[in-house]
Amino acid sequence: MENTDSQSSQSKLVEISRLPVNPLIFWVVVTMTFIVAIVLILNATGVVVGVNWLLLVPVGAYLLIIGLFIAYLSKLYRERNQLMLERIRDEQVKLNEFKKLNQDLENYAKQLFDKDFELTLANKRLQNLEHAKSKFVSVTTHQLRTPLAAIKWTFHMLLGGSLGKITDEQQNFLQKGYDSTQRIITIINDLLNVDYIEADKTDYNFLAVNLTELIDSIIFEFANQVESKKIKLNFNKPSGPIPEVAADPVKISMLLENLLDNAVKYTPAGGRVTVSLSDARINSAQSSVEVVIADTGIGILTAERDKIFHRFFRGSNAIQLKPDGTGLGLFIAQDIVEKHGGQIWFESQIGEGTNFHFTLPVFSAKTAVV
Amino acid sequence: MEKTSSENKKTVLIVEDDEFLRSLTAKRIEKEGYGVEVAVDGENAITVLETLKPDLILLDLLLPGKDGFEVLKKIRSNEAVKAVPVIIFSNLGQKEDIEKAKSLGVDDFLIKANFTLDDVVAKINKLIAK
Repeated sequence: MENTDSQSSQSKLVEISRLPVNPLIFWVVVTMTFIVAIVLILNATGVVVGVNWLLLVPVGAYLLIIGLFIAYLSKLYRERNQLMLERIRDEQVKLNEFKKLNQDLENYAKQLFDKDFELTLANKRLQNLEHAKSKFVSVTTHQLRTPLAAIKWTFHMLLGGSLGKITDEQQNFLQKGYDSTQRIITIINDLLNVDYIEADKTDYNFLAVNLTELIDSIIFEFANQVESKKIKLNFNKPSGPIPEVAADPVKISMLLENLLDNAVKYTPAGGRVTVSLSDARINSAQSSVEVVIADTGIGILTAERDKIFHRFFRGSNAIQLKPDGTGLGLFIAQDIVEKHGGQIWFESQIGEGTNFHFTLPVFSAKTAVV
Repeated sequence: MEKTSSENKKTVLIVEDDEFLRSLTAKRIEKEGYGVEVAVDGENAITVLETLKPDLILLDLLLPGKDGFEVLKKIRSNEAVKAVPVIIFSNLGQKEDIEKAKSLGVDDFLIKANFTLDDVVAKINKLIAK
């Protein structure tokens, strides 16, 4: 609105400044002045005598025209001044706005500076808190693990019958006790790992890793768990040689443990979990090795597929099956794979199972130098 | 299985300060047919190792007084027991701990809460045949 107003007043101004003095009026004025002057001279010199009455006609007409002309000009000037004033007022308003903006900007700059200062302080405080929190988490989890190990081992010994024969009912209860302890341990381990990731303490130490050996040792750790759950856990070893990967063995163990733990946890009794390893260079241009962990578990709901790697997210069918859990396993897994420069993805069919894939780069002399 | 002849039994030294964990571990390893010696802290372990040459050492890290790392250093610098396999069995298990232990020459690193005693025995069997 404002913009169009100022545009129209500007164009009026241009019209006025270009307005030509009407040539007819100009020549009439010049001619009249000339005639009046001649008559007056003739009269004064006495050549023409007694024309005084006659003289009134051109003089009257002349004065009338001059009057009209002046009135017309003054009207134009009034309009012009009016427009000028309007423009000046507009400019004044804009100038005030500009001044205000400038003032605001200065205030904001000052506020920004103050905020920056506050934030620096807050950040410092947060860092201290973060440090204290990490220390607390670390010490607490270590202290918790000792009695938990004692409980776990006791359950395990009782279950194994090494302390005397137990009835089926006792077996049932003891197994529940053992499983619960195992769950607490998993939660503590997850919390410890997340604390590690968030505190950015996870400096990676990349070595040439033989994945076949590493997977073997992780599967060994799961032997008891799959046996008590009546699940088959197989490792499809590749037929050909598999190159070593550039990986941090501690981190890759954690990654495999998380994925296997999920596969075993969410696969019903009688199900199957299969780990396979292949040289991805055969089917794609990538210089990497691919690991697949396939289960016959509950699957991941289509609607929740985007969120499955989010921190603390748990699939609703997973929550139904196992109410307690941290929702951190896949978050950690993704973090580890990404820090190795690999990729992680999955395909899943509800009620049929889920296949988790991840790739790790092949170890080369160049990686070793880096 | 040579459970009967005590002279032929291979010996495992358990270094563990928690009494209950120590007795459970000892019990399970004995059951497997090994001879078991125990030490309750780092100082104790070093004294025991002056006279005993075990076939394997199961070593905790958090110990009162001298900790597991110090004991490990002593073991690796003692000619007599230098070559004895050592499994760290502790609830410490952060990357730094594992790396420190590996640099000092351990054969395996197990976090107590993540394993059962059956797993430990399986590891022992892998490292030393009965």
